[in-house]
Amino acid sequence: MRRELLPVATPARTAAVIGGLLRRRWRLTVTAGLTLVGAAACGLLPAPLLGSIVDVVAQQRDAGALTWPIVLLVVVAGAYGALTAAGISLTGRLGEHVVASLRERFVERALHLRLDAVEQAGSGDLTSRVTSDVTLVTKVVRDALPQLAHAALTIALTMVGLAVLDWRFLLAALVAAPIQAYTVHWYMRRARSIYTAHRTSLGALQHQLLDTVGGARTVRAFQLQRTHTAKVEDSSRDTVGIALRGVRLLTQFFGRLNLAEFVGLAAILAMGFWLVSIDAVSLGTATAAALYFHGLFNPINIALMLVDDALSAGTSLNRIVGVTDLPAAPQPSRRGQAADGSVKLSSVYHEYEPGHEVLHDVDLQVAEGERIALVGASGAGKSTVAKLVAGIHRPTRGSLAVGSLDLAEFGSPTANGLVALVSQEVHVFAGPLAEDLRLARPDASDDDLRAALTTVGAWEWVQALPEGLDTVVGNGGHRLSTAQAQQLALARLVLADPRIAILDEATADAGSAGARALEQAADAALRGRTGLIVAHRLTQAEAADRVVVLDNGRVVEVGTHEELISRGGRYAELWQAWSRSREG
Amino acid sequence: MEATGRSVLRSAIHGQRRFVAGAAALAAGHQGCEALVPVIIGVVIDTAVSSGSLPRLLTWLGILAVIFLVLSLAYRFAERNAQRAGEQAAHELRLKLTRRVLDPHGGADGLPGALVNIATGDVKRVGDMVAAVPYAFAALTALTVSSVVLLTSSIPLGLLILLGTPPVLWLTHLAGRPLERRSHHEQERAAEASGVAADLVAGLRVLKGIGAERAAVQRYRRTSRRSLNAAVRAARAHGLHNGAVMAVTGVFLALIALIGAHLALAGSITVGELVAAVGLAQFLPTPFHMITYVSSEHARARASAERVAEVLEAGPAVTPGAARLPAEPVGELHFAGVSHGPLRAVELRVEPGELLGVACDDPAAAKALLELVCRDADPEQGRVMVDGVPIDGLALSELRRAVLVAEHDADLFEVSVLDNVVVDAARSDAASRAIQAATVDLVAETLPDGLHTVLAERGSSLSGGQRQRVALARALAADPPVLVLHDPTTAVDPVTEAAIASGIAELRKSRTTVVVTTSPTLLAAADRVVFVRDGAIAGCGSHSDLASDPDYRAVVFS
Repeated sequence: MRRELLPVATPARTAAVIGGLLRRRWRLTVTAGLTLVGAAACGLLPAPLLGSIVDVVAQQRDAGALTWPIVLLVVVAGAYGALTAAGISLTGRLGEHVVASLRERFVERALHLRLDAVEQAGSGDLTSRVTSDVTLVTKVVRDALPQLAHAALTIALTMVGLAVLDWRFLLAALVAAPIQAYTVHWYMRRARSIYTAHRTSLGALQHQLLDTVGGARTVRAFQLQRTHTAKVEDSSRDTVGIALRGVRLLTQFFGRLNLAEFVGLAAILAMGFWLVSIDAVSLGTATAAALYFHGLFNPINIALMLVDDALSAGTSLNRIVGVTDLPAAPQPSRRGQAADGSVKLSSVYHEYEPGHEVLHDVDLQVAEGERIALVGASGAGKSTVAKLVAGIHRPTRGSLAVGSLDLAEFGSPTANGLVALVSQEVHVFAGPLAEDLRLARPDASDDDLRAALTTVGAWEWVQALPEGLDTVVGNGGHRLSTAQAQQLALARLVLADPRIAILDEATADAGSAGARALEQAADAALRGRTGLIVAHRLTQAEAADRVVVLDNGRVVEVGTHEELISRGGRYAELWQAWSRSREG
Repeated sequence: MEATGRSVLRSAIHGQRRFVAGAAALAAGHQGCEALVPVIIGVVIDTAVSSGSLPRLLTWLGILAVIFLVLSLAYRFAERNAQRAGEQAAHELRLKLTRRVLDPHGGADGLPGALVNIATGDVKRVGDMVAAVPYAFAALTALTVSSVVLLTSSIPLGLLILLGTPPVLWLTHLAGRPLERRSHHEQERAAEASGVAADLVAGLRVLKGIGAERAAVQRYRRTSRRSLNAAVRAARAHGLHNGAVMAVTGVFLALIALIGAHLALAGSITVGELVAAVGLAQFLPTPFHMITYVSSEHARARASAERVAEVLEAGPAVTPGAARLPAEPVGELHFAGVSHGPLRAVELRVEPGELLGVACDDPAAAKALLELVCRDADPEQGRVMVDGVPIDGLALSELRRAVLVAEHDADLFEVSVLDNVVVDAARSDAASRAIQAATVDLVAETLPDGLHTVLAERGSSLSGGQRQRVALARALAADPPVLVLHDPTTAVDPVTEAAIASGIAELRKSRTTVVVTTSPTLLAAADRVVFVRDGAIAGCGSHSDLASDPDYRAVVFS
């Protein structure tokens, strides 16, 4: 399929969006900025104060001359502490608010994306934006940003401080700058690819472990221990190798920074030597300059290390803003506008890829309350019909009316509760089971939930869970079987209470006894609704009002079960295979 | 449990002792040099700058250069050795865990996600601890060097700094501890927002199917706000802690400057020694922090090591015997008066070469039967025998060689369809027949690279029925003396199911096969069918014989 990734914002656009969010909190932004500058400034005051103490000693002045510098040192320590506390707290608040606004808008837009857009981008695109990008930005804002801001301000103010002591000290300090600039450039060019490789190999390792550990029973049954252990070993060794390559690079990076430190420090000391010898500065000033520069070692290391994080966060931000900039979801039309629960397809054609038509000239009319079974081999187009009716895809040609409303004008019929689709894909949302169900109807009472679960025959096992409805299920919680998860999906359908329900092989993939229980559950869930069932167990077809047989994207037979049996066509053939065994 | 966690840590460190020791020596050298840098600054000010002697300046700058060179190289190789030790320790633990989980005797099964977290996150933490050990040594060395320098220049000033630093750090630690503890909790809370977002996106299709986008967005907003509040509180706690540290160390520095300056004025130390003392006082928190860091890392690693130990030390699910089977087992399976869970006194002999269908009215009874054959559990009463040998006396590898249980929800692996089917390369001819019998050749036709198409995780790129057919082909290709199939075709359409039923009968001719199912298509293909009702055998005969039993009909033809 042609991949059309979700949009990525330009850096300028991202900056504008962030700027907008900061402007909305301009008071906080300004206060946080000033506090950080104040803190960084306080961090620089001890060095000249210590320098003046050295001067007092060197000039053998009275001990009383020490009082002021010492008192100031104590005051500065207090102020530095207070401003640091306020700075971290305020930038934290600001950063978190910005990130929260972004991630909320991101999730809102992401959940309202049309599924065909998501599929066209590959579902990995959206998933990686939400897992890697949102997480990375949150982490950088939380951990790296306060440090980076503080380090950068300290560096800037130290430079100012050096210039204030004597402008020639600043000149000496800048001797190290080209080495640092080159080192960062050198490092980032290499680090990017190693870190990407490391992340990829970690992902592969995790994947391999999940494959092996998740299939442990199968591995044991087929005695595949040797191959699987070897695979884990290879994957793990890869990760170790790449990690160590990263360590080599990092140590080389710091080695170069050490060189820069030495060059800078030697230059400052030599400059101090010269300036003292020509009586341009005092010994104390020279000391202060050297201490200033020594105090820069850590902030420079931190800043240069974090530049990389900041850049990746920038890339991630572009990918997040790309999604948040998508147009907001259209306001759904009111449910009451649907006249009835009917479905009508007239000469519907559909192709996922140009030139590969999967549905040809499909006509189908489903009356309110009628139950239709879609039958056919895999690839016949059953699921496509289901998806079209659910509004996931728009038909390439032809018209489709749901609830007597033309879908082309009506928008998504699922979003306003007219249609619900339960597919073979099961997902149990992480959290208490009741919360999962309430996604379908947020205002449902516990009694409503119990009633829905009873309808689909799930109340018995839900009651038996460690904490009943409050049991935490899904990722990281109590694990439900596939059949239980599918029952849950049907219970959501009951709660959503749509006029038209579509079941796309919602009862497949469970054991035969499980499938039967699910069929009963599906039957109960469909009561009183128009039903469209993609069936592979023909008992479901037998119980439907009408059967529609699809073959190669065409409707080949339509009729009641009995009519089709007596017609002796494709359905009769399927039925014969199904029932041959049942006649004993 | 604590002792085993500790032993995991200890053996992880011990296993890398060469690298740990090398790294420790080098890191000590690095720290020592770092401590010397402010000292040399003091010396340069003292001897060169104040006297204006150029040769002295050049000499000392040369010495500074040497120190920087040693410092840089020592760090470089210390870090490489330390990280190698950590990575290798993690690698070895990971393999140990994998071997334990896959061990034929079982007993270490848990949720795959949790096990993978242990094999990645927890193991990494243990590795990080191993990598941190050298730095603890180094920090101690740095403390020693600083002490010597300080005490040789001035005993009172040296004592003040050395004895004063630990209480200062302890004070800041104390101030920060409740905040840090709370902030840890808050951080977990704060991480929730990313997790929930990922979960909602993973369930996007389900949400859209029931039109729950709006409800999900509302819920996400609440989670996000909760995370936001937690994160803001965490940032505040973090800020207060850092602020306290800055303030206290700043005041301490002022105290050192005061006393040092008085000592220098009184002539008991030189100006350079004062500068060095102030420099060292600024440097000293680093090694102290390193020690606190390593100790907190140790606490975290201990918790992880305990989780690792729990898996490694898990007892086997069953105790195997040592008996062996003949090279070519005949393939007779015998349940001799077995009671287990819902099963009551089941007496069932599966003859060699027979294709037996077992229909159970209760899925739990079917599950119990399979559990016994796999030896995931031993029966409460009676025994299960293969070729007349009780299976609890058999080595597990022997049992698996004779009996293969293909479970209904067997996992496919993330390799090609063909590699999923062919588990034993020596039997590739059996594989091609198995592929036909399970109609996997028809599945392959729909895949982009046919049989060589690599499957997605857990085979999720296939439909349920296609997955079942590949898993069935794999079981058939293994060609075991006794094959037990559980519901192999529930998601397969009826025409294909009929083809598969005759495929199984054809391929397993003269090999013992048990199909536990309620599918009439499969049962009709069996030589003999056993009907299990209420945990006991209620009937036996051909499918058509049994079809007259209304209870059987109710189970099979519903």
